[in-house]
Amino acid sequence: MAMAAAFRREGRRFVSPQPITDVRSSLIPEDHAPLGVRSISTQVVRNRMKSVKNIQKITKAMKMVAASKLRLIQTRAENSRGLWQPFTALLGDSPSVDVKKNVIVTVSSDKGLCGGINSTAVKISRAFNKLTLGPEKETKYVILGEKAKAQLIRDSKKNIAICMTELQRNPLNYTQVSVLADDVLKNVEYDALRIVFNKFQSVVSFLPTMATVLSPEVVEREAESGGRLGDLDSYEIEGGETKGEILQNLAEFQFSCVLFNAVMESACSEQGARMSAMDSSSRNAGDMLDRLTLTYNRTRQASITTELTEIISGAAALEG
Amino acid sequence: MVIIPASTGQMGVLPGHVSAITELKPGVLSVHEGNEVKKYFVSSGFAFIHANSIADIVAVEAAPLDQIDSSLVQKGLAEFTQKLSSASTDLEKAEAQIGVDVHSALNAALTG
Repeated sequence: MAMAAAFRREGRRFVSPQPITDVRSSLIPEDHAPLGVRSISTQVVRNRMKSVKNIQKITKAMKMVAASKLRLIQTRAENSRGLWQPFTALLGDSPSVDVKKNVIVTVSSDKGLCGGINSTAVKISRAFNKLTLGPEKETKYVILGEKAKAQLIRDSKKNIAICMTELQRNPLNYTQVSVLADDVLKNVEYDALRIVFNKFQSVVSFLPTMATVLSPEVVEREAESGGRLGDLDSYEIEGGETKGEILQNLAEFQFSCVLFNAVMESACSEQGARMSAMDSSSRNAGDMLDRLTLTYNRTRQASITTELTEIISGAAALEG
Repeated sequence: MVIIPASTGQMGVLPGHVSAITELKPGVLSVHEGNEVKKYFVSSGFAFIHANSIADIVAVEAAPLDQIDSSLVQKGLAEFTQKLSSASTDLEKAEAQIGVDVHSALNAALTG
């Protein structure tokens, strides 16, 4: 996106609907073209054309890379949805449960140039933080990825509990994510974990999503008070020493599964977003190149016409 | 019908089973469809049996039984047994114990 903006800024100089004769003044700084110089230098435009062409090559290559990465990860992300669905079928997703200690896990990317997915995740996290503000309440952030860190560190530095980056250096796998989940569970006190990520829908559309994982105590409390979790009491719980222990295991396993899916979805969305961002960048560069070529050709033609006119009128003056 | 390796023992689940949540231990999960039986080895996980005759089984790893190499299992079992005897800290012991449990379950699944 930044690149596209840069293109627009650069482009404005040439797009202005001025008559062609004015191009000279807008292209060449005054001190380089003293008054009365007739030939128009096209050097500046040629340089600009070259650089735009190079940028277009880069964005096209980045788009290709993103597309191939997307293909690799898309099926895995879609398959990983099977991991959280059983948990939601059992426990339901309860974003509205009011608890004291909220932990917001914001999943973002390490690299930029991928559209608005990181700022969306950050925005949702911030909005949720505001929603849960209250006396005797505590909200902590756990941040995955460089981009969300850069944005959240500005206003909520003291609320950041853990920050982890470079998740995608190796291909994502469950082992890696479960170690990470374990780290979060051990080091952060929570009543509810809210995982904010972009769910992949298609290459151009991502759904900012929040998944909730409740701590075993809260699950038990909610199950007793009825509501959506009320059905839980009708389940026979087998194995383990106590019900609490099973619920603890269940909550931890749920968190690792949900986090795994979130990380996959987010990585997938990132590649998709990068692909479309780079696609529009390449298109913008192409448009700009067309405009520059037009200006260049017109300028050249104008100077040829001027010279011809001079020669012809000179000859006519001699004849007359 | 499915046979689930629950931590309390093998558990057969048919439609209409009472709703339950159960932890899994390393073992063989067999899925019976008519006369066809598919066997998978699962390392751990959870099974949720819902009242509406739907059962969800979540496993970290599941592999069809015929894709498991028995010589590697033997090797792994020997390795972890050796580790268990030489383990000094509790953590090492627990890790080795898990390894032995999984591999002996694998072994039992392959031979049994």
